[in-house]
Amino acid sequence: MAPPAQSQRSPSPSQPSGKSEVSDLKLQLRQLAGSRAPGVDDSKRELFKKVISYMTIGIDVSSLFGEIVMCSAASDIVLKKMCYLYVGNYAKVNPDLALLTINFLQRDCKDEDPMIRGLALRSLCSLRVANLVEYLVGPLGSGLKDSNSYVRIVAVMGVLKLYHISASTCIDADFPAVLKHLLLNDPDTQVVANCLSALQEIWSLEATTSEEASRERETLLSKPIVYYLLNRIKEFSEWAQCLVLDLVAKYVPSDSNDIFDIMNLLEDRLQHANGAVVLASTKVFLQLTLSMTDVHQQVYERIKAPLLTLVSSGSPEQSYAVLSHLHLLVIRAPYIFSSDYKHFYCQYNEPSYVKKLKLEMLTAVANESNTYEIVTELCEYAANVDIPIARESIRAVGKIALQQYDVNAIVDRLLQFLEMEKDYVTAEALVLVKDLLRKYPQWSHDCIAVVGNISCKNIQEPKAKAALIWMLGEYSQDMHDAPYILEGLIENWDDEHSAEVRLHLLTAVMKCFFKRPPETQKALGAALAAGLADFHQDVHDRALFYYRLLQYNVTVAERVVNPPKQAVSVFADTQSSEIKDRIFDEFNSLSVVYQKPSYMFTDKEHRGLFEFSDELANLSIGAELADTGVPGHSVEANDKDLLLSNSNSEKEETRGPSNYDAYSAPSYDSSLVSIAASQTQSDLISSSTTVPGNAPHSSFDIDDLLGLAVSVTPSPAPAPSPPLKLNPKAVLDANAFQQKWRQLPISLTQEYSLSPQGVGALTTPQTLLRHMQSHSIHCIASGGQSPNFKFFFFAQKAEESSNFLVECIISTSSSKAQLKIKADDQSASQEFSSFFQSALSKFGLP
Amino acid sequence: MPVAASAIYFLNLRGDVLINRLYRDDVGGNMVDAFRTHIMQTKELGTCPVRQIGGCSFFYMRISNVYIVIVVSSNANVACAFKFVVEAVALFKSYFGGAFDEDAIRNNFVLIYELLDEIMDFGYPQNLSPEILKLYITQEGVRSPFSSKPTDKPVPNATLQVTGAVGWRREGLVYKKNEVFLDIVESVNLLMSSKGSVLRCDVTGKILMKCFLSGMPDLKLGLNDKIGLEKESQLKSRPTKSGKTIELDDVTFHQCVNLTRFNSEKTVSFVPPDGEFELMKYRITEGVNLPFRVLPTIKELGRTRMEVNVKVKSVFGAKMFALGVVIKIPVPKQTAKTSFQVTSGRAKYNAAIDCLVWKIRKFPGQTEPTMSAEVELISTMAEKKSWTRPPIQMEFQVPMFTASGLRVRFLKVWEKSGYNTVEWVRYITKAGSYEIRC
Repeated sequence: MAPPAQSQRSPSPSQPSGKSEVSDLKLQLRQLAGSRAPGVDDSKRELFKKVISYMTIGIDVSSLFGEIVMCSAASDIVLKKMCYLYVGNYAKVNPDLALLTINFLQRDCKDEDPMIRGLALRSLCSLRVANLVEYLVGPLGSGLKDSNSYVRIVAVMGVLKLYHISASTCIDADFPAVLKHLLLNDPDTQVVANCLSALQEIWSLEATTSEEASRERETLLSKPIVYYLLNRIKEFSEWAQCLVLDLVAKYVPSDSNDIFDIMNLLEDRLQHANGAVVLASTKVFLQLTLSMTDVHQQVYERIKAPLLTLVSSGSPEQSYAVLSHLHLLVIRAPYIFSSDYKHFYCQYNEPSYVKKLKLEMLTAVANESNTYEIVTELCEYAANVDIPIARESIRAVGKIALQQYDVNAIVDRLLQFLEMEKDYVTAEALVLVKDLLRKYPQWSHDCIAVVGNISCKNIQEPKAKAALIWMLGEYSQDMHDAPYILEGLIENWDDEHSAEVRLHLLTAVMKCFFKRPPETQKALGAALAAGLADFHQDVHDRALFYYRLLQYNVTVAERVVNPPKQAVSVFADTQSSEIKDRIFDEFNSLSVVYQKPSYMFTDKEHRGLFEFSDELANLSIGAELADTGVPGHSVEANDKDLLLSNSNSEKEETRGPSNYDAYSAPSYDSSLVSIAASQTQSDLISSSTTVPGNAPHSSFDIDDLLGLAVSVTPSPAPAPSPPLKLNPKAVLDANAFQQKWRQLPISLTQEYSLSPQGVGALTTPQTLLRHMQSHSIHCIASGGQSPNFKFFFFAQKAEESSNFLVECIISTSSSKAQLKIKADDQSASQEFSSFFQSALSKFGLP
Repeated sequence: MPVAASAIYFLNLRGDVLINRLYRDDVGGNMVDAFRTHIMQTKELGTCPVRQIGGCSFFYMRISNVYIVIVVSSNANVACAFKFVVEAVALFKSYFGGAFDEDAIRNNFVLIYELLDEIMDFGYPQNLSPEILKLYITQEGVRSPFSSKPTDKPVPNATLQVTGAVGWRREGLVYKKNEVFLDIVESVNLLMSSKGSVLRCDVTGKILMKCFLSGMPDLKLGLNDKIGLEKESQLKSRPTKSGKTIELDDVTFHQCVNLTRFNSEKTVSFVPPDGEFELMKYRITEGVNLPFRVLPTIKELGRTRMEVNVKVKSVFGAKMFALGVVIKIPVPKQTAKTSFQVTSGRAKYNAAIDCLVWKIRKFPGQTEPTMSAEVELISTMAEKKSWTRPPIQMEFQVPMFTASGLRVRFLKVWEKSGYNTVEWVRYITKAGSYEIRC
């Protein structure tokens, strides 16, 4: 009988229904349970099928547990499998009923048919009920010694499942040692492969608490084991090969012969039909040769062809996975792929996620010899494909223009875009022309002539409008109509919804005023009046600021608003090289697809210990990535940001660390919520003035403003003034902290021992915070739970604005504190370190 | 770690769960809801096959009217996960006999559950080879009522271990008639600029094999590729026969092919699996013979009229012919009326895809039929939205023709019983993405 048809089902599968059917089934099952009539197995099978199909669509059939168990005494293997499936599904919610099944599962584990032994063992381990683990140890032990490989395969995985239910039971039964023995001795390669995955998982997780386990994890990467696996690699299934290759990629070879031996052995893996195997071997090749520059180059040449083949075969999803990796390699070594640029041409019907990656690769490989062809191709897309991709391709043209010396032809193309009379094309092109002018002011004449012809009325997008207004202000001396256009815009001040545009309008009208005072005066007055009445805080503040500045001194105002500008030579790279290297180390994983290292997106429990540090970088980059719209950024992040920004950040800090998790937004690290909160707050405030990353020009304006208000840059005077005095009321906002943390080198790394009293007192991060505060060392973020805590501190010298930044990881289990100190004034860091240590050592003392 | 799939879901297009299997506890139970609300019901669907929602990553693929979704919470191996899905679908297809869609899943859900248990354990891929699985998970999971206790069944893995046989073929196969079918299937991709220059052109080919051979045969395949021939002439120290040789950019092989031997001797030798499989895949970018040339001229006569002239030249041998030739010429959305003149085939306007569709069922070599059409447009007020000309697309199949020029030179079958085999070789070239800008 087929499962019930669509129409009979409840519209939402999450709403259980069908009570009458369930009780009906119960009755029928009961009748069959005791029956020994011929053909009873077939009718049982039909009933079981029904039960499972109900289970699948979300109807709660757990009430049938007893009847199912009663019926399961059959010898029919299909019935058994369905019964196991049912039991596995409901055991967790009904631990008491699960106890009923232990008996028959244990009996089946001793069946003479290895198939049934294996199945029963698998189901037994899948019950996932913590208080039943005692029944698992025996069957697992004999399963691992079973003469049949099928049972051993299942048993090895069973050990891993047991470890996840109860780690101590698994370790106490000494199963890892048995697995290790099997790993090196079992004739069946699937057993070996499963041992490898199980041991890797168990020891990585154990390594956080036990040194022995971390030693064991190291031995997995030792030469004998790696060579043993490599020599058998052809016997492994394709999936197991991926596993082995992943291990080999982490292996540290002893010398160059070692490296070449491995590469020779694995060369043919690059021809494997399974793309995952090819990628895994690619990773091995790349990692092994990292230190040998020449060979590393050759590796790139060697892997190029197989990867290009993989891209062009298989489903779009598969080629996306490969393309993401190819993208990473292209970005790392564009010159190697620059002659293959035609492979990255988009096909009309390709999905946009593939096109987007290809566009980025085309941008990366552009050099003197192929720029013309690539830009020609990109211009085709601007006219020819769907709108988001058209936009991307215009941006790509702009990027190429910004990275090339010979921009002649490209500027012409961009100007043609402006004349294409499509809203989105014009909008994107305007933003690009603006960036281009900032880098190549010499082109202003040609560009301004074209830009002047564009009517403001046709531009709706805030970003494009802002760009146009910026140009109007900046080049008002060359554009005849500039004051009048600005005037027209100011007249419609109230219709302008974007604060970004209004801010730009204020600045532009100021700039214009200093260049052509008589024509602009009226507009300026209107703009300042409108700005002062604006409900948006930033707009209002800026208008007020300009107003007062003009009142104070007009020449100073001119110096502030219209300083001599230098061409921007390099636009900020959105990703640090450290991050890029980290992604490269995680080749062949999700990191590459998301274009961020794994610690940014996996749950804490999945991180290794070594990934614990550098969360600060994660935070800032995470924010940037979200802005640049990397494929696959988290959806929920935005909602949660709003939540966070509403809550008071001080309140956040007083909460116990256990509460933090509830507030964690996926792209941020939970332990740093307090930073995240204050950061999002400041983001909210500044979001109208700056669009981080994407619109560098606006931060330019901010600099204009801030240049007077605060001097962010440290005073260069090194003069150490002993003894060190710290400013008890130092202030540093989270953004400035992050920026400094990224910019400054580590000047000192140290490890202290904590006093036992200190350890005792450190129950929550807050206790330490208050203590350090009394020593004028302020905390900007903290997090973690016993036994590991993490803090970011800062301090400021009393007389000057020289800052010290500290990352402090405290482990109460080992009574150690690890410190990383960064300082504006490096020479004082040693002194500060001892100050910090003395402050820390007083912690916990009465 | 490679994939550690925490869960796998099969959903229909409405988002109803057809089958789900939770492998690990590290993802919550409402994963389907997350997928439905954040991906299926938004514009995000189709924008990226890998998405992160909350702490979990979703990999999804659409296969006919089914979504297959893998959920992971760790930093999983994406390529491996997608390959796993593809292989799993191939496995299911080999069980259902062809189609994989919602109905097939509904009718076989018990079997799929059984298979899902075998092919993945605790998130790690296990054995996906249909050959092996069919030994112990029999069709429909139904054993004939006459068979006795299941213990009679030989235990597959143990048997294989003892005989030391290859994992993809079982021993003791007997066929009355020993036959091998070779299909060389090439798809040719072309991107031609409006000026008629080739922007991008390559051929991806695969050799599909169907083996009905007894025992444990050893096969050896010879192709006219350059490296292989050179190697052969070196070994035999005599010059190769003249004839066209081709250069393969890259080759990948089925796991049965002895790669060590391929690298040293450049011969493709293997013990084939029983039945149908894909022996090798290759890619060629140099010296591609394009089967068709398309010469379009599209004139916009004022605002409301267009003149479309398309000439298609077949450049393969006069004795050959192409089948199912379809040429799609995009026209603006506001097309009102069309009239055609064709020298061969039939043409009509398809409003659903905004294209003039010209179909020629049988297209002989060395001919050049033309189509000319007059298109009348509705004049619209929205003048700003000027028409961007999408490329002309073409579909075709040319039997007995390879765009790469690849030929099978020999296929040797050796088995210890020394039976005779019959070998069949077919060639076919299909259009991949064959685009001509105009």
